[in-house]
Amino acid sequence: MAVLETFWAEIATFARPALFNIYFALASLPVGFGLALLVALGKNAKNPIVSHLCAGFIYAFRGSPLFIQFFMFYSIMLALNPVWWRPMELSWLMMNPLFIGPLVLVFNTTAYTGEILYGALRTVPRGEVEAARAFGMSPFQVFRTVTWPNMIRIAWPAYTNEAVFLFHATALVYFTLPVIGDQKDIMNKARELFERDYNAVLHFSVAALWFLAITLVIFLVFGRIHERLMRHMNIEAPKPKLRFGPKYIR
Amino acid sequence: MVGEDIAFWLAYLTNGKHLQWYASFRFTILAALLGGLLALGFGLLGAVLRASRFAVLRGIGNVYTSMVRGIPDVLFFLFFPLAFEQTAEWIWAMQVCTPETIAASQALWPPCREANWLLSTNQYLFLACVSLGIVYGAFTANVIHGAMRSVPKGQIEAARAYGMSNLQVMLRIQIRQMWVYALPGLSNVWLLLIKATSLLSLLQVADIVWWAGQLGSPNYFPQAGLVHGDWRWAYFFALFVFYIIVTFISERAFQRLNVWARRGMPVEG
Repeated sequence: MAVLETFWAEIATFARPALFNIYFALASLPVGFGLALLVALGKNAKNPIVSHLCAGFIYAFRGSPLFIQFFMFYSIMLALNPVWWRPMELSWLMMNPLFIGPLVLVFNTTAYTGEILYGALRTVPRGEVEAARAFGMSPFQVFRTVTWPNMIRIAWPAYTNEAVFLFHATALVYFTLPVIGDQKDIMNKARELFERDYNAVLHFSVAALWFLAITLVIFLVFGRIHERLMRHMNIEAPKPKLRFGPKYIR
Repeated sequence: MVGEDIAFWLAYLTNGKHLQWYASFRFTILAALLGGLLALGFGLLGAVLRASRFAVLRGIGNVYTSMVRGIPDVLFFLFFPLAFEQTAEWIWAMQVCTPETIAASQALWPPCREANWLLSTNQYLFLACVSLGIVYGAFTANVIHGAMRSVPKGQIEAARAYGMSNLQVMLRIQIRQMWVYALPGLSNVWLLLIKATSLLSLLQVADIVWWAGQLGSPNYFPQAGLVHGDWRWAYFFALFVFYIIVTFISERAFQRLNVWARRGMPVEG
């Protein structure tokens, strides 16, 4: 049973590193969603300057690797450190991986989510928007009662997928940013343990299990929210069970 | 003055180190092309496995295609080369190691010093291509699996009526006819794959990202070239723009390809 004991001990070792990945995902997803809503509305705006800016932002951050984005933002922060952050005494925040990590992830997820929400925005039935206008609703009321509910229902499955991709992207943070002291995420821990005893199969499969488990939790939570969003549809039909529903394209 | 500036920057951007940087683009390009080719091969294999009549093969295909969605690609990217290296060293150790050499070895791995295998850049690059192939092969398998199912039923029934065997139907009809349906999905996988080629430096390949970091780091020694501060942001920004341009060109190329592949087909409303 020694094998099983090593295995359980290994799983326990990864609990603290996993918190860092969860922190990065949780810190960036809500902010990214809010900004993505603005960017999506901006890309759909009539003003050509606003819509081109938003479209350009989305294209740039979807068209380049996150790995490069991390390096780019970190080196920009480094270059600004002697000019801005040190005189303003902000170095402790601006140079902290726990801040830069979510910052870059927010930019990245804003672009991907923005594209998803923009796509959903375009499929909102025109007639419903016109009906709301005809009732004399203000633009904000139209958005709140017609556009938003339609949009979020269409976008949710794709957004689930994006959340999973973003969680997996958190594995890249500490490959690019400095590891300070004991702040190690799952991949760091796996590499550290591997360099100690060269047992690649054990360490990497346990790391993979942690990612898999948290991915399943994301699917579960987002599936529940999707059920709630769609609760007015098909009341008689049996509720869909929890499904590991991978979508392959981000 | 402007002429002098231009001459200065031209000289700076074509010095030896920069030429090495430009030369290192070959690693990225090779990884994208070979990785893409392997991904297509693994993808076809995975899709055929998923459509298999035997439950075991189907299971293997399903696990292969869904594992990449639960686990980040970086993990596979690091794991496959390590696992391959260790397996090779283990097999080699069984041939060359004697109990004495194993007892003499201080390190935990490899079992004895004779079985140590230090990979060269090219070997790492090849292993990186294979891991790209395996990971994005799973994505491709899913795309191809979907495309094979959208081949019109009538064509498959006609092939059956001609007396073709299952294998013949697969090879002559399904795999030949599915490309049009697979193209949009394949284009997406290709875009993911080019972005993943930026990870080569994790496998100790001195690729464009590694060189950008080297060239940009501050230099205080006049004998090592131009003295400058931290310019890494400029180099990484250049790579950022480079990848956006590559994405743009790829998208255009796939659009062209799609128009070409769809010629003569009914326009979908």
